Amino acid sequence: MKIIHLSDSHLGFSSYSRLDEVGRNRIEEMVYSGFEQAIERIIELRPDAVVHAGDVFHHVRPKIKPLVVFQRGLLKLMEEDIPIIIISGNHDAPKSFSSTSPFRLFEDLRGVHIAHRYRYERFAAGDSYFHCIPFCLEPQDYLAEFEKIERQGRDVLVMHGLAESLANRKMRSVGEHELSDSFLKSDFDYIALGHFHGQAQLSRNAWYSGSVEYFNFGESQDRKGMLLVDLETGRAENVPVKPQYMVDHPPIDCSGMLSEEIGQCLLELCHEDEIRDKMVRITLKNVNRAAYRSIDQGRLNRLGASALYFKIRPLFLDEEEHFERSIDRRTLHEEFSGYMEEKSTQELIPAKTKDDVVAYGSEIMKKAVLARHKEALDAS
Amino acid sequence: MRAEEREKKVAIKQENIQPSGAESLLNRKVIEERDTTYRIVSKNVSEYHFIVPFDLSEEERVEVGQIFSIKDQGLTFLARAVNIEHSSNYDGHWDTTMKGTQFFDSDQIFNRVSAEPLGCINRKLEFKKSRTLPTKFAPVARAEREEFRFLSQVMGDIEVGYLRNGSRLVEEIQVALHSEVMDHHMGVFATTGMGKSNFMKVFAASCMRLAARGQSKFGLLIVDPHGEYLKGKGPVKGLTHLKRYREGLACYSTNRQNASDPGVEELAISESEIFPEDIALLYEWSPPQRDALEAVSRIFDPASWLEEIKSPEGMVRMMQEGFKDSTVNVLVRRIKNELERNPYIRKRSSLANILANLQKGKVVLVDIPRMSDRSELFLLSVISRYILDEYKKDEKEGGESRKNCLITIEEAQRVLGSGSNISRFESIAREGRKFGVGLCAITQQPKLIDKQLLSQFNTLVVMGLGDRNDRRQLEESAKQDLTSMDIEIQTLEKGEAVVSTLNIPFPVPARIHRYEDYLRRLDKEDKQESLIARGGFKPFLD
Ligand SMILES: Nc1ncnc2c1ncn2[C@@H]1O[C@H](COP(=O)(O)OP(=O)(O)O)[C@@H](O)[C@H]1O
Ligand SMILES: [Mg+2]
Repeated sequence: MKIIHLSDSHLGFSSYSRLDEVGRNRIEEMVYSGFEQAIERIIELRPDAVVHAGDVFHHVRPKIKPLVVFQRGLLKLMEEDIPIIIISGNHDAPKSFSSTSPFRLFEDLRGVHIAHRYRYERFAAGDSYFHCIPFCLEPQDYLAEFEKIERQGRDVLVMHGLAESLANRKMRSVGEHELSDSFLKSDFDYIALGHFHGQAQLSRNAWYSGSVEYFNFGESQDRKGMLLVDLETGRAENVPVKPQYMVDHPPIDCSGMLSEEIGQCLLELCHEDEIRDKMVRITLKNVNRAAYRSIDQGRLNRLGASALYFKIRPLFLDEEEHFERSIDRRTLHEEFSGYMEEKSTQELIPAKTKDDVVAYGSEIMKKAVLARHKEALDAS
Repeated sequence: MRAEEREKKVAIKQENIQPSGAESLLNRKVIEERDTTYRIVSKNVSEYHFIVPFDLSEEERVEVGQIFSIKDQGLTFLARAVNIEHSSNYDGHWDTTMKGTQFFDSDQIFNRVSAEPLGCINRKLEFKKSRTLPTKFAPVARAEREEFRFLSQVMGDIEVGYLRNGSRLVEEIQVALHSEVMDHHMGVFATTGMGKSNFMKVFAASCMRLAARGQSKFGLLIVDPHGEYLKGKGPVKGLTHLKRYREGLACYSTNRQNASDPGVEELAISESEIFPEDIALLYEWSPPQRDALEAVSRIFDPASWLEEIKSPEGMVRMMQEGFKDSTVNVLVRRIKNELERNPYIRKRSSLANILANLQKGKVVLVDIPRMSDRSELFLLSVISRYILDEYKKDEKEGGESRKNCLITIEEAQRVLGSGSNISRFESIAREGRKFGVGLCAITQQPKLIDKQLLSQFNTLVVMGLGDRNDRRQLEESAKQDLTSMDIEIQTLEKGEAVVSTLNIPFPVPARIHRYEDYLRRLDKEDKQESLIARGGFKPFLD
């Protein structure tokens, strides 16, 4: 039996980018069309089943468009009699029992099996059993849900999260949605994982399919696509869906360069045809601030006009070490309330006023920071 | 006076204990047996003597190892009984002359207790070694919890048991080791069946608690060849039973059954993590074979030597280097054997996870039941080398957030013996401390452990040791003086221990918790402290 394993479609993802001729966000549209291409490819390959290992939607409350795109995909698979097994991931599972999951809309479709109720569910398709552990609310729930699994003879495990060993290897920060490697039992015929956006094999039988799309520049080196898995032999084969479209140029050392030279460098990297419809980032390091400022801004803007997403990242000589420090949500409003506390203990502000200001101010800051994060090109 | 009353009372001649007033000389005072206040009668700064009735009841009997307090003008001296002997007020032997069935003069005979000074508690409740001795005839009483209170202040954060005075428990005073000294080495010594494994589980449970609370200062690695720590056996419980602090534990197993537990990772080592030195541990080698093995790392790429040497090209290259084909054949056959026999050698590897969990300060249990002695050493060698190397790297790169680690070695005499040439463990023993890696040696035969090494152990947990040579070895190399405790150590019962460690001023008698009891107590602890979430789990904001 052959299956297609994909994950992390993030339908609804959008990022600050240009709009197309009818005013739609180009990146958002690209993600939809990527999903549609993936469905086309699946139908060509005619697998016995499809597994989507989490994060179909980018948001817990998707807009209508991603729902429609997803529904269209499901209907196509139904027409072809290809069953699909889906689990919810950290992006599309509501973080409490009280809200309704978007997957409720698709539950009754024939051949569509969705685990999204924060608990273990088992589905049969072809001659195999798919043991699904969707997003759970508490980390210890995963242990309890996993214990419910009874092996059936032909068993596929489907889970979503960052495997511990990958987290160690990638030196990713803690705070991710982490999965213990103790779940990767060798007696499963296959383990389909989602959450990590690069294609990666963790053990003989455990794979991340990776996503079809690129969601941030950290993924520029990742292998993308789906996996075609032969459950008899355990062989997993990459099924590319789109050509590589992300280019993150290695940093250019601009020490001592004048604005003219920097401009020339950029020009050479940005041939219109080479960057068309691509996501491009160019990092300049050791840049003299004055030199960079005096580059003709209009020219800079025109430079990446044909790209889907274009960013020049200057690392200035005088502030290099601070540049990459991301905004820490907690620190910002904590710092704010710390400051207010101090003023209030110095009796410069009445306590009541302080409390009100802190409450209101922190709220606004959280929103602002969140908005800024959303704007950045990112979906983990 | 009725007969039974007479039996309960013991007369001690007043002159011996009462310095003041001539009139009292005539008043022989009868001391109630329950009144266990005795008096110091001699001897010097390094040894105190006091006398006690010769026929104390079971309950009141003085035992070697008991700690007594001597109150003397605001100071409280503490002393530990090291010997008890028959004595009397008479020279010669006529005190024991029989008169019918009675002693000739029971008023004149008693027992003399020699006690070793431990130190002195001053008015500020500080404990110091003493440079003087208590005033003659200062009162002596069995030390109670009040006198031991100062100990609570010097105890650490890893609870292992209660203070014990003789065979009595002082439950109010917990005996707890210090996390800070755990990158120094530690030793656990006892004859089989006296409670080494029980101790390790209690120790590990306390470490799990610290880790789950985010207070751990070191990771604890336990490689368990007997399969007793993970799930225990029957009524004997394992570490996974401590559900309350399960977050503080990471488990790996080579056993199919045990590894089917979702909280237990199947142990895997990848071929590239195996070095020729590890293979060397597995067999006895002839000198030419040993030479060949040593040459391997020179001839092949260390990351793929196992693959290469098995190929025909590898064989050719070995022969080009001047090794006989028969020698190389033996080498290859044994390697193949080992790889086949150990299904845990795979593509994947658990070592990075093990390391990461240690550096987070967790207890890491590697469960390898039913493995041959050599295979176990092989595995232990691969794991500890990996850990030491990574800690060394970290030290260079200045990794600050990582915690120290303590590597436990069961039956440590096999690898830390004098003359044993298993350099891996020696190098951890000698240089591990620099990088934050300590050893915890568990053995029933300390006499086989290298003496110089033993002298570097800062924490000793000594339980019942029957063999005099074992005791002598410890006494001769321990940092704190244990010589006077020889009799006590010999007579320790199951679960009783003497704990000698830095930061606690004298070797402390303890009763180690029974793991099952401790487990029940910990599991009941309230949930209020914030647990670190497993792996720092945090759902994404969307
Ligand atoms: N502190 C203790 N309190 C009560 N029983 C103990 C204690 N330590 C050990 N025991 C009991 O003694 C037996 C042997 O202990 P164990 O720890 O296995 O000894 P060892 O590892 O030294 O051979 C076990 O059945 C255990 O329950
Ligand atoms: Mg034991």
